[in-house]
Amino acid sequence: MADQYQPPDSAPNSSRRHFLAQTAMSTGPLAVAMLLGHPNQVMADSDPIKPNLGNNSFDLIPKAPDHSASATAMISLFMQGGPSHVDLLDPKPLLNKLHLQKFPGKIKYDNAAQASSRILGSPWKFKQFGESGTDVSELLPCFANIVDDALVIRSMHTGVNNHGQSIHALNSGRTQQGRPSLGSWLTYGLGGQTNELPAYVAMTDPGGLPVEGVLNWSNGWLPSLFQGTVLRPAEPRILNLDRPANYSPTLQAGFLEAVNRLNQKHLSSRPREQELHARIANFKLAQRMQTSATEALDLSRETKATHRMYGLDDETTREFGQRCLIARRLVERGVRFVQLFTKNQFWDHHGSLMNSLPKSCKKIDRPSAALVKDLKQRGMLDNTVVHWGGEMGRLPVIQNDTGLSNVGRDHNTYGFTMWVAGGGFRQGGTLGATDEFGHHAVEDKVNHFDYHATLLSLFGMDPAKLVFKRNGRAQSLLDGQPGRVIPGLLA
Amino acid sequence: MSIRNPSQLVPAVINRCLVFLLAIAALNQPILMPKILRAGEGSFSDNTPQVPVFERDVRPILKAHCFHCHGEAGVTESQLDLRLAKWLIKGGESGQAIIPGNSGLSLLVQKVTDKEMPPDGKSISSEELSIIKKWIDLGAKTARPEPDSIDDSLITDEEKSFWSFQVVNTPELPAVQSVKSIENGLDRFILAQLESRNLTFSPPADRHVLIRRLYFDLIGLPPEPGEVEAFLNDPSANAYTSLIDRLLASPRYGERWGRHWLDVAGYADSEGFTDKDPEREFAFFYRDYVIDIFNQGIAYDQFVIEQLAGDELIQGPLLPLSAGKKRLLKATGFLRMAADGTASSGADRDLATNENIADTIQIVSTALTGLTVGCARCHNHRYDPIRQEDYYRLRAIFEPALDWKKWRTPKQRQISLYSDHDRKQRAEIELKAKAVDDHRIERQKAHIQRTLFEELLVAPDNKRDALQDAFQTSSNNRTAAQKALLEEYPNIQNISNGSLYLYAEQRNRRAKKIESKADTIEQAYLNEVASEHLKKIEPSRLSEVMAALEQTPAKRNAKQKELETEFPGVFVTPTTLSIYSAQGAKEITKYRQAAAECRKQNAKDELANLTNKAAEIRSSAPREYFVRALTEPSNHAPTTFLFKRGNHQSPAQEVPPGDLQILSDVSEINISSNDQSIPTTGRRMAYAKQLTTGKHPLLARVFVNRVWAHHFGIGLVDTPGDFGMLGSRPSHPKLLDWLATEFVESGWNIKGLHRMILTSRTFQQTSARTDSLDQIDPANRLLARMSLRRLESEVIRDSVLQVSGQLVNRLGGSPVPVKEDGVGQIVLGKQKLDGERKPQSGNNLGADAERRSVYIQVRRSRPLGILESFDIATNAPNCNMRIASNVAPQSLMLMNSEFMVGYSKKLASRIEQETSDRQLQFQLATRLCYGRTAQKETLEWLLGLADTQSRRFRESNPKWTEQKIQTETLANVCHALMSANEFIYVD
Repeated sequence: MADQYQPPDSAPNSSRRHFLAQTAMSTGPLAVAMLLGHPNQVMADSDPIKPNLGNNSFDLIPKAPDHSASATAMISLFMQGGPSHVDLLDPKPLLNKLHLQKFPGKIKYDNAAQASSRILGSPWKFKQFGESGTDVSELLPCFANIVDDALVIRSMHTGVNNHGQSIHALNSGRTQQGRPSLGSWLTYGLGGQTNELPAYVAMTDPGGLPVEGVLNWSNGWLPSLFQGTVLRPAEPRILNLDRPANYSPTLQAGFLEAVNRLNQKHLSSRPREQELHARIANFKLAQRMQTSATEALDLSRETKATHRMYGLDDETTREFGQRCLIARRLVERGVRFVQLFTKNQFWDHHGSLMNSLPKSCKKIDRPSAALVKDLKQRGMLDNTVVHWGGEMGRLPVIQNDTGLSNVGRDHNTYGFTMWVAGGGFRQGGTLGATDEFGHHAVEDKVNHFDYHATLLSLFGMDPAKLVFKRNGRAQSLLDGQPGRVIPGLLA
Repeated sequence: MSIRNPSQLVPAVINRCLVFLLAIAALNQPILMPKILRAGEGSFSDNTPQVPVFERDVRPILKAHCFHCHGEAGVTESQLDLRLAKWLIKGGESGQAIIPGNSGLSLLVQKVTDKEMPPDGKSISSEELSIIKKWIDLGAKTARPEPDSIDDSLITDEEKSFWSFQVVNTPELPAVQSVKSIENGLDRFILAQLESRNLTFSPPADRHVLIRRLYFDLIGLPPEPGEVEAFLNDPSANAYTSLIDRLLASPRYGERWGRHWLDVAGYADSEGFTDKDPEREFAFFYRDYVIDIFNQGIAYDQFVIEQLAGDELIQGPLLPLSAGKKRLLKATGFLRMAADGTASSGADRDLATNENIADTIQIVSTALTGLTVGCARCHNHRYDPIRQEDYYRLRAIFEPALDWKKWRTPKQRQISLYSDHDRKQRAEIELKAKAVDDHRIERQKAHIQRTLFEELLVAPDNKRDALQDAFQTSSNNRTAAQKALLEEYPNIQNISNGSLYLYAEQRNRRAKKIESKADTIEQAYLNEVASEHLKKIEPSRLSEVMAALEQTPAKRNAKQKELETEFPGVFVTPTTLSIYSAQGAKEITKYRQAAAECRKQNAKDELANLTNKAAEIRSSAPREYFVRALTEPSNHAPTTFLFKRGNHQSPAQEVPPGDLQILSDVSEINISSNDQSIPTTGRRMAYAKQLTTGKHPLLARVFVNRVWAHHFGIGLVDTPGDFGMLGSRPSHPKLLDWLATEFVESGWNIKGLHRMILTSRTFQQTSARTDSLDQIDPANRLLARMSLRRLESEVIRDSVLQVSGQLVNRLGGSPVPVKEDGVGQIVLGKQKLDGERKPQSGNNLGADAERRSVYIQVRRSRPLGILESFDIATNAPNCNMRIASNVAPQSLMLMNSEFMVGYSKKLASRIEQETSDRQLQFQLATRLCYGRTAQKETLEWLLGLADTQSRRFRESNPKWTEQKIQTETLANVCHALMSANEFIYVD
């Protein structure tokens, strides 16, 4: 071959294309426009011979679903620990009738040392609310007000009596660790709807991470692009987004001016280095992101009335209310999936149920209901799914039988309750039922995979088609489990 | 390219770069493979129009898209075989595929145009199609007469003549006009090309540019101001070369260049493959070996031989391990870098082993020979003349050591560095620990029995014996009634080793229950005794006695007290009960003692303490290190089979070990399957020897190209891991060959190669672009100037540590651990998770946190945040070329991260120790960060800015002292200097 290198008028300029792909596309329209000043080189690679890159290219650009979708975004309020369905949303008069008598049947306990076979009636009163007449416990007065917007599913079932496994079932489709979470699948399938905020956001409680920690928002083996971005539980909500401590806005402006000045000076003797232009542009984009993400997280822009609605005026509800309100602001600005977690084992009431359950309810009831109400009044509820629920319910029998103020309830994943609202879910009423003791789902059982199949279909996706090729296999959220789209869940 | 790598498959539980910004950045940024493939590059260097011929122009297209179904491996769908031009004309079931002279009527063209072929949405590009059309229209010519039949192993003359398979020629030094401007032979090749285009070298760069360039190139750190001064003022004619020598002699050089090789070797401190991504505790021995190779200036051929066959170089018995033997074993870590799924459970073992072998082959072939051999695992290589059989010939070289049928897990492969003395010491310690274990087991049994006893005490009296029987009966032998009974009493049913801690936690509650039962029993006995004695009292005294009884003892009057003495049986008390009911007193005592014991016995803590104690004793043994080595069992020569479609479950014919068939004209390719003179098969040794004879066309070319790429930012071949058809062609093929020849003749001397490149005029040019150069050669492949380069992530982090005076320089050792913090960010520190997977904080690494980045643990699933954001090496399964991305999150990291702000303050205090004069401070900061003095204009501007910033600090922090304000202001300016482009780019 001739020892003649042919420069790029006849050959595609790989490094420039590379530069565009790697660099400019991420700097936003500004830098792209700047680079488009060299049109010949930009479009040089019209049709190269190359193997199909297929799965090697991923992005968060919005994608059209398979079929028409009623839901475009979702907020999941994950009640980690497992709220007691028989005390909140699935009344069982028989328990009160047989209070303290021996449970007639088999029960699987989690904590043997405190186990008892005596039935525990619910000490809280239920009443029917709304046009749908759904039974709601006195512990959830605010939810009672929005009951006609929500669908209470009383027949949830995962069937594994541990927190971790049941969390994985509900959040990543299988009981095992290591699979992609629901939010990862949704953003993998649909992309995001904004280029200034992440597509998938997880929000943890200042009291600590939920059981299974960061695996809750893991992308599993999907590309890391689809991992949940965690907002820190306290300010600063996003690392590296906020100004350094001690840098006031004007001080940071001075700092950035200095960087820019140094960069311009540096550039002045290297004016043709597009790489340097692009990096200068990136500093500006970073500043914009600092503004837009900061703006999205700035609750002072909401009215007093909204603050009150979410309970920001009350010590008890403020923290969770803030997160619910941030969730709404994120979805409003194009975030696809937001999941809020209560603190580690917040609902895991093995003891002191009488005292703890009302406390837990107080913290979350008002903000959760406010979120639905707020989305509705902004016209966002129609295409935003709100999910409220934990990984399990509780047993009908007593745990820690040492006096009524000490008793609790042990785990129950065989039949429990959660509610959903918006995005095409049926509004008002209930679906399914547990047995007369509330132990097993017996009617219209909704397995985690049924729930997932239904959810994906609301987002316009076929659960069998949303797949990721791995180990030569097409992997999916349902992973071959027989999930059905449940008609009774749909509007 | 159809094989996915396990290391890609396992991405990321966990790529927890939670810096949100990565996610944002990715929004607009498709993640692309760094390799860019380009069209028809083989022909662009030839400008004369040619009549297209089948072998050169059309066959490669059909090979890539069609042979798989139409010709290869005996598959000829629709009876159509496209491997020869005459068979295209002959056609298949649907008739002639082409009609020479008329592409419009040719079926092949129609099917491709209609996107009917190739099937499944794959397509032949319009550019390729137009080549095919042109070929047909111009008569469908072949370069030479075609044979009547061919087999799968056909390698065409065109393929054989591909540049990288040719023997390395020693080219003559080209003549140049401007002889004055060259420093060495290398420059002639560059200049000759420049001159042919009426170009010449850019001017030589200033010394302050050169020193910075050399420092980053050779040691990956910025020069200290004193070093800059010394170099600028060095009057010696050898100033530049002696600087090179100094840097090459620095231990920092091995760290910098060792890291380059670790990219190529796919170095990782974790096993990957599964989401667990277990740690590789001892991979670091290989890392340290590589660093040492570069520092010691070991010849490259020796380096290659040791990595491929270090174990086979060991003569005589392995033990005892001398320093030399250890070193050779460490070298074989090269072959143990691929992800290994057999380190954790849960992976399909056969799949994991075969993927590990495939990754190892890919690492070896791309690293050493720059060929994507892995593409031939399932079928003949689509583009390169690498047959599937070639792939399995290479596999056979490694099969005796990596035998998937007799696989050894990473644990089983490790070789202990324990001495006999260490072993003896540990045996003694183990005896002590075992004694503690035994004691713990005894105590556990005792606690189970005690707990059962306690729970039974408070069970209903009428069920106690039955419950005890049921519990003691082994669960298989229990009757239905026993099972039902235990169901009713889960608190008894579930007493076990595993639940003992729960019962221990409940011990006070249980003690209370026992005590209250004791009280009840006591009261019953007291009542019984009292009423028996009451019966014996004369009726006349009865009312008097009853009145006294009703009164609480403390309030009884003197008379009543007399009655107590008179009728002790009636006024029986817990203290006197034993006089009247020995049995009652005994029973009560039993309960009370049981309650006391129950409170006292904390089984949870006691057993945990014993467990800890045993662990503590064991931990006093000398730490046992293991080499992560590849070794081969003696006399083990398994047969290698070709796997149909790459599937290990479909073995086909046997394949002997050997190198690629395409190299047979220029290099020995056959390898004996068992060298009888040594205990191992000697296959790897033979392969290593063949690679390093100096005749192998790829080994030296690939290596000198890598070295070149690190010095210039781009290789002569800009796809350092692919010297095949899809790779790029060398910009200066003769130069590449000349360098390769010189390199081999120098005795594969790596430092010598550096010297040759660094002392060239080419390397010493300025990097300034000009309008005219950008018109001709924007990518700077002709090297009429130096290229501006962004520093790699490790260099950026290390530079921050260095200028702020914090860098800890210590060679080698266990990696500095990374961990996940409370929000899932990857930071430095030892990971400690509690039972619910919450990270625990507070792991102080001390000075280790400020070691060079090459020593930071490479956990595949946990790239350190700051390193990842500036493009860490991605192992897939190795990294042949780093990308240098330019995204906004990098700016945010510079602007706002604790890392940058923290080290800005350290830089400020370093400067304050030198001078308190503001102007001198800024001058020093500039010299530290940029290796040059500050320009007057910038300095003045910075001083003005500093005043403003001071005022702002003062305004928002009224309580700060003036000293504090001045320090913070200086830190702020330092922060700006370290965030600016000049800090992270080198000219």
